[in-house]
Amino acid sequence: MTTRHRPGLAEALEYCRPVPPVKSNILKTLLAVQSALGHVPTSAIPQIAQVLGVTDAQVAGVLSYYSDLRTQSPGRHLIRVCMGESCTANHGGRVLRAIQDHVRVAVGGRTLEGRFTVEKMSCAGNCAVSPTVMIDEDLCGRVTPSEVPSLLEPYT
Amino acid sequence: MKTTRCYLANDTSSRAAGAGRLADAWSDRPEIQLIRTSSRGAFFLEPMVERDTPNGREAWFNVAPNDLPRIVGGVGGTPVAEIPFLQQQTRFTFANFGITEPLALDEYQTRGGLKGLAAAQSLSPEGIVEALRISRLRGRGGAAFPVWKKWQVAQQTGSEQKYVVANADEGDAGTYCDRMIMEGDPFRLIEGMMICARAIGATHGYLYCRYEYPAAARAMKFSIQKAREADLLDCDDYPFDLEVVTGAGSYVCGEETALLESLEGRRGVVLAKPPYPAESGLYGNPTIVSNVLTFATIPNILANGGAWHASIGTEGSRGTMALQIGGRVKQPGLVEVPFGLTLHDVLDRFGGGMAPGSRFKAVQVGGPLGSLFPESQLDIPICYDAFAEAGAILGHGGIVVYDDETNMVELARHFMAFTADESCGKCTPCRIGSVRGREILERIQAGEGTAESLDLLKDLGETMKATSLCALGGRAPYPVLTAIEHFPEEFKKGLTH
Repeated sequence: MTTRHRPGLAEALEYCRPVPPVKSNILKTLLAVQSALGHVPTSAIPQIAQVLGVTDAQVAGVLSYYSDLRTQSPGRHLIRVCMGESCTANHGGRVLRAIQDHVRVAVGGRTLEGRFTVEKMSCAGNCAVSPTVMIDEDLCGRVTPSEVPSLLEPYT
Repeated sequence: MKTTRCYLANDTSSRAAGAGRLADAWSDRPEIQLIRTSSRGAFFLEPMVERDTPNGREAWFNVAPNDLPRIVGGVGGTPVAEIPFLQQQTRFTFANFGITEPLALDEYQTRGGLKGLAAAQSLSPEGIVEALRISRLRGRGGAAFPVWKKWQVAQQTGSEQKYVVANADEGDAGTYCDRMIMEGDPFRLIEGMMICARAIGATHGYLYCRYEYPAAARAMKFSIQKAREADLLDCDDYPFDLEVVTGAGSYVCGEETALLESLEGRRGVVLAKPPYPAESGLYGNPTIVSNVLTFATIPNILANGGAWHASIGTEGSRGTMALQIGGRVKQPGLVEVPFGLTLHDVLDRFGGGMAPGSRFKAVQVGGPLGSLFPESQLDIPICYDAFAEAGAILGHGGIVVYDDETNMVELARHFMAFTADESCGKCTPCRIGSVRGREILERIQAGEGTAESLDLLKDLGETMKATSLCALGGRAPYPVLTAIEHFPEEFKKGLTH
């Protein structure tokens, strides 16, 4: 299988090429690829495996294991709603429903125009200011369902 | 014009509460100079703005941008020393919080930082371990293993290469003290890791930080670089270097063998012990894996002596514990107190009662694998022994309060679904048991449970407890079984006959 050239992939991989005595590190490499491309396309697996000197299966195994590694390109903005215990106790589920109603997408899905991807996260460590919604790298605390539209508005 | 120095926290939770918006709104106001500190952990008061007075700092709570004239005019502030939530705490590990700028190494030193490292430099490696033995410090990540025993094994295992690893994969929902330490007092963590490196003879350290904590990872990278430039890491020809590594969203990577697998870049799968990482860990070399809070506790122990630490707390639980209160309480936040207060005292004195309009139903201690306590069982003292005796865990100190709107069947399903999602798949009881457990709870939820469902769930729970490889499968039944024990009527409603 030939791998389609992707701008960014080769450059990201160049940094991760193992130079002895440094050993190859699959997870670190996948995080670097995701940082460059926004996701790790499964079609890039052979190229990654080749650079690291490991099998395709080893790369695929790590890629499928970690929930923060994604194989699909996310929307322009990633909304992550915390489902940790403190957020659950403070009815974060209602905030999630309000977000889904507002942007009209299922959990894990991307909105039609590609503006948002909505995901659940297990704990943001923001328990004292819960419920929590993380939009890209911005963490919002004490979120109420009614403020969801104004919260999302700046993210175009 | 006279400029007033004001202090505002810059950690993730304070920003989430509005500190960032406040700083933006005031960025061009000439009457104030805003110093961005760590947070005191009284998050219900954030954003909180402080200023100096001849009698110490005064604070304004839940500040909005238009409160600035009051603050500059010194009107309506509360002396920080008189805030009951803070006044009743015993701050050792969190002594700098709310006071210093986290990334200022000189401030850390002015306030007593690096004294523990200096004390360690005057001791032999055996002497450092002896100080920890006397201190009776137990690991703060959840397992509560005596720290000195682990260090002694790594010290006595012969190897060219040894490692020290800080477990910053703070995955227990309801806990955030590690994030606070990394963002708020990063040099304390570095100092603790350096003391460990000297004791065991490690030349390289890693900080395994969860993906969800980007600000903490940035703060640690910056402080490590600063320490390196100050020749602190390599002091008196003892080579040591530190590196921050990011995880990718796997709860089980908080278990030490899974964490090391992940650090090597593989799937974070739990390994059978022995060998323990202290004998054979990262790349097969002796490795100390300890929680961030544990490392951050160590500088004070070396600086003040093991006996000082052993004089605080209860018989089996020496020192202080960082409790993190969350959920439906009026006053969520970080509480550092000596071990021994009852759960009721902690909720009453610090939690400040229930959030407006809600009534207490249950409290969970120790993260998503921790037991639930009803109102009748709150007199349990916060210490490892009392919790072990009750079949519960203190874990990493997370305390989450649920109100009477909480549906216990849904909560139990949530816990089992969490384990099913996060199971690494290595052992059968956890991998299969959690899925079957979730399915039984889903049937009860749908009103399709039978008389056997609860017995089956209990039986499954006992099997998982007895036969799982690590605490994820082994502890997962506890919140579910305690929910059934204390709120049986809710589960029985979902049984058909």
